[in-house]
Amino acid sequence: MSSEDEAPAKPSTTAKPAMSRFLRTAGSDSSSSDSDEDSEEDSDADNGDDAESNASNEEDKPQIRILSAVAKRLNEMEATGKVMENALKINDWMAISNEFDKLVRMIQRQHNLSEPIPAFYVRTLVTLETSVNTTLQKEKEAKKKMNASNAKALTAMKQKVKKAVKDNETEVKKYQEDPEAFEREYLNLIARDSTPAAASGPRVAAVGATDDVDEFTTVGKGGKIQQYTSESIFKDLQAVQEARGKKNTDRAEQIRILEILVDVAATSYQRIRVLLALISSRFDYNSSVSTHMPPELWLSAQREVDQLVSIVAADSNYSIQEMTEDYDELVERSPATEKGIVRIRGSIISFIDRLDDEFTRSLQNIDPHGTEYVDRLKDEKVLYCTICRAQAFYEKTSQSDPLGRVIMRRLEHIYSKPDAVVQALEAAVDTSDVKPLTTLTAQGSTSALVHALCVYLYKSGNSLLRTRAMLSHIYHHALQNDFHTARDMLLMSHLQESIHSADVATQILYNRTVVQLGLCAFRSGLIKEAQATLQEIFTTQRVKELLAQGVHQQRFQVMTPEQEKAEKQRQLPFHMHINTELLEAAFLVSSMLVEIPLLASIESEEQKRKVISKPFRRLLDFADRQVFTGPPESTRDHIMQASKALQDGEWEKCRDLIQSIKIWSLMPEAASVKEMLAKRIQEQGLRTYLFTYAPHYSTLSLSLLSRTFSLPLKTVTSLVSKMIWNEELSASLDQSGGVIVFQRIELSRSQQLAQVIADKVAAMVDQNEKALDIKMGGTGGWGERNDGNKNEKRGEQIQERRGRGERTRGARGGARGRGARFSQGLGNQMNSHTGGQRGQ
Amino acid sequence: MAQYDLSKTLIPYLDRHLSFPLLAHLGETGLFPAEEVTVAQYELAKGTNMFDYAKGLFEGIYPGETVPAEFDQKRTNAVSTNERLQQEAQAVLDVIENPDVAQALRQDKNQNLQYLKDNYNLTLDQITALYNFGQFQYSYGNYTGAADYLYHFRVLSTDAELNTSAHWGKLASDILTGRWDVALEELNTLRDAIDTRSAPSLLGSTAAQAQGAVLDPALGQLHSRTWVVHWSLFVYFNHPQGRTLLLETFLSPTYLNTIQTSCPWVLRYLAAAAILSRKAAAGLTTPATPLSPRVRHAIREIVKVIQTEEYQYSDPVTEFLRELYVEFDFERAQKALSEAVDGVLANDFFLGEFKDEFLDCARFLVSEAYVRIHGRVDIENLSERLNLSQEEGEKWIVNLIRESRMGADAKIDLEKNVIDINRPPQPVYQTVIEKTRQLAVRTQALGVAIGRPPQQAQQQQQKPDQAQEVLVN
Repeated sequence: MSSEDEAPAKPSTTAKPAMSRFLRTAGSDSSSSDSDEDSEEDSDADNGDDAESNASNEEDKPQIRILSAVAKRLNEMEATGKVMENALKINDWMAISNEFDKLVRMIQRQHNLSEPIPAFYVRTLVTLETSVNTTLQKEKEAKKKMNASNAKALTAMKQKVKKAVKDNETEVKKYQEDPEAFEREYLNLIARDSTPAAASGPRVAAVGATDDVDEFTTVGKGGKIQQYTSESIFKDLQAVQEARGKKNTDRAEQIRILEILVDVAATSYQRIRVLLALISSRFDYNSSVSTHMPPELWLSAQREVDQLVSIVAADSNYSIQEMTEDYDELVERSPATEKGIVRIRGSIISFIDRLDDEFTRSLQNIDPHGTEYVDRLKDEKVLYCTICRAQAFYEKTSQSDPLGRVIMRRLEHIYSKPDAVVQALEAAVDTSDVKPLTTLTAQGSTSALVHALCVYLYKSGNSLLRTRAMLSHIYHHALQNDFHTARDMLLMSHLQESIHSADVATQILYNRTVVQLGLCAFRSGLIKEAQATLQEIFTTQRVKELLAQGVHQQRFQVMTPEQEKAEKQRQLPFHMHINTELLEAAFLVSSMLVEIPLLASIESEEQKRKVISKPFRRLLDFADRQVFTGPPESTRDHIMQASKALQDGEWEKCRDLIQSIKIWSLMPEAASVKEMLAKRIQEQGLRTYLFTYAPHYSTLSLSLLSRTFSLPLKTVTSLVSKMIWNEELSASLDQSGGVIVFQRIELSRSQQLAQVIADKVAAMVDQNEKALDIKMGGTGGWGERNDGNKNEKRGEQIQERRGRGERTRGARGGARGRGARFSQGLGNQMNSHTGGQRGQ
Repeated sequence: MAQYDLSKTLIPYLDRHLSFPLLAHLGETGLFPAEEVTVAQYELAKGTNMFDYAKGLFEGIYPGETVPAEFDQKRTNAVSTNERLQQEAQAVLDVIENPDVAQALRQDKNQNLQYLKDNYNLTLDQITALYNFGQFQYSYGNYTGAADYLYHFRVLSTDAELNTSAHWGKLASDILTGRWDVALEELNTLRDAIDTRSAPSLLGSTAAQAQGAVLDPALGQLHSRTWVVHWSLFVYFNHPQGRTLLLETFLSPTYLNTIQTSCPWVLRYLAAAAILSRKAAAGLTTPATPLSPRVRHAIREIVKVIQTEEYQYSDPVTEFLRELYVEFDFERAQKALSEAVDGVLANDFFLGEFKDEFLDCARFLVSEAYVRIHGRVDIENLSERLNLSQEEGEKWIVNLIRESRMGADAKIDLEKNVIDINRPPQPVYQTVIEKTRQLAVRTQALGVAIGRPPQQAQQQQQKPDQAQEVLVN
């Protein structure tokens, strides 16, 4: 970005900066250029606004502006040259050195805009070279005539000049051959070149001695556009591209130029080239300043990607590839000249990726409770369309690698959405002209669509995509309340063994999937499964962090800024969140239904240590310790009081408390879930009641139970039978009387103790055996107990599937292990991640 | 009752030849129109070399039409091929049947090959002729011959893939000839081969199995296991000890997984086998071999599996177990039972013969559960649950009490027409004794294990009682 560039953008302000620059040049020091750049950058930021407000000004006095800008620059140079000449006379090499540096910088700028190097510079170079040489010569002859710093500057100067001469070798040579001709040539060049790179054209032309007046009559607002013709398009494009990424390039201006170029472009090739450049520069626009791309910019980028895809999809003679052979950027190419397909360097898939990432980033940073968020969210539809178009394009050209990536992107947009949203998204796709093979209308249902997309990804060779597709697929099944399929898929994928070595994003997806599976089980009334599934994640107590829905505050550890940043980038946008309060409610309620009857069934303190759900037990203990309990406010309060009511056998109170939890309204099919819960509470209430009060009865009428718990007699009988069969209840049914007959033996103290000691001794032998196992090296050591461990992995999982009854003993260890792995995995990843960053 | 017929699901997992008996059975049951079954048989036979059979079927289907000429042509072809293959095979056979050779052959196959090559000029190619001839014989229905040749081939050949294929072929031949003992042996070796090797070569060329191009090993193994599961049904439901062995095999984790993943319908046979072997498991008859815990707790295991797989598969047989052991709804269990016996078992190819035994065992299960839950049982009620008349019911119950060890606890009160069951709870000292019984032995084993150097300890898979002996010495 230099004054030349800036000038057309904000003409009215030119007077001032130009002036200041003049001033600076007059009494400059070497550091000035730095501050110069800074100030320019600042002014860039408000550039956009200025440009519009000053548009009228521009029309008023273009001549003055242009003259001053160009003259200023040349004057600057010449002034520098003068100073140098003067310094040369007094042999002040320090001053020369400084001035030369400045000059080189100015030339560099000139060069950035691909303007010809002024003859003046070349002349100066040549004179400098000779004078340096002669001075050096003199120095050798007459010793110790110069002070140390001067001598130093002289040698430095020698190097610099040498380098500069080398850089401009051809010009210097030409000049040396015939200085006159060279200068003439230069003047001609700038005069003739009326449409050179970027906006500098008119100005150079103004300097050129020829037809000043003509030039200015045609240059107006419209005239400026005319300059970008399709013939010179590549030159313009190259100019823009060369300026790209350099320190003082005005990005907004570049985008504007490119936009004009798109309109001008005549052939497909030109359009593709310009679009590629335009989209990249849009993405470049604000890398450092703000957290995300402004929506307007994003939208135009999205439209341009669409345009690009359409062009390439419509004409199979053009192909955009990441790797191509070198070609001349300045030459128009067509299928005819290339004999076949024209290959252009670029990557649509990276644009799509970037577009999607920017979208997510903007959602991460916009306040989710404002209207802005909702507005932004509406853009998902167009984004989804773009992704689908890209998919269609890759399907057509059968490029499997980018196709996989683009399908993954598409899947990520729909896998967690309810049907209605997917339908809306798909409806938008249906209207577009380029459609992928898999659409909702073609597949019939969302599940089929997700299935089709996933199946493609399973077949693709990329294992990361496969894993993610698998998880998304499971998530979708869970969302659709298809618990069995989701569970089987999760178990068969064996992901829980390898997930801790996956990348963080995949781990998050895994956690989400597991949690959704748990919720699905809960909705389907599979309380035990829900409890077991959600258990893992709740024991870590870092639910939010594991789901990437909030940053966990670590108590003893301060996060470095990089860690914090990385963490922030991982967060999911708000609309993808799984409501943690709902999650907790589901978990605690299912824990209650599992745990309370269990609590009631155990008698001795010893057995009380067998805890299924630690978080629940902790809350319950806490609630027990409170002296006074007020009316419930939070979800937890509700559940705790409900648990107590259940313990006391008051199932109706329990039901009312549970059903009055407000958060259920967030759950789809809330009514049926509540109904299901009521039924479960009745059943578990009956069980708890029997466990708790059995010692006080010798017989108990079934019909009474049926009435108390408003359950049909048959259900009561079935429940009681089950308890008797499982030896949970020492009783028998008397059919003729319709009663339960309890058989209870009161153990004497010594009998009880004898049992306890027998248990303890058995436990000790177990421990010893385990210890020996470890000492002997693993499970294959000795004894015959290894068959249990040697079961295939799925065996273990099946046990897991079989539910709680059997795993009470092993489960705790297992769950703990897995829970640890959960957190460990994430932690490790985080460390290594940030470590890597620091390394870079 | 056609909805419970599994033939259609089973046949894809069977060899062409193995499907004939199934189809013939279908023809007998009359679940499907006879013509359709015959057409199906014809379609099957067309693909084999059993031309006469196919011809007969063809005439049956299209009476009056001339038999396509291709049959005769194929027939002559087959006969000539047969002769050629026989000659090739005969050369090898001559050598092998020489008693000198038979003596010289050792365990090591490579050495054997070398020996045959050196002394009798037999090469691997010639031995392969055995395989070819065996396979050809199989294709036209000479199963005994096929089994012989394939057996000889397997003894000599080192080609893993052909060996596996020969395995399958021999198993099929043995099944079709009805030599169940041999088939059982064959089945076990085949299973071992599948379990130990995970190479994709397991997918032998047997019949339609070679459809997949390149499958990954795990998938290949799953496929082979699925096939084994299906083929073994033939053996297990015909061999006298088959049911117990079936439970033993199918309940092992690998096969249970296979069933759950790829063929949940086999659960029917698993459930039926469990019910059938229930009496044996309860220790009423004295089995020669002690039963493994797996078989003893078969029903419990199976009920769990049935519960998990309920969403995938259920039929009256599994329904019966579920109602009985999960819901404890005796009425519905009764209903499911009668449906299972009349609708499913009567028409099932494998289970048909066990219909009565199944009913008997199922009743036993019902009454066992009933009696265990109830303290006082109305005989009338129980008879109803068992689908018996009162008198029959009484007899049945008396037998039950006599046979089972409830004798001491249960008494029939004829006046009130009830059974009183008085099961005193286990005394505390007994439980303590039970708990501590094993401890001494286990501790001794520990001591011995510590005494040994670690490597030795790892090599010897020591049983506690052995350990005891060591200690005594």
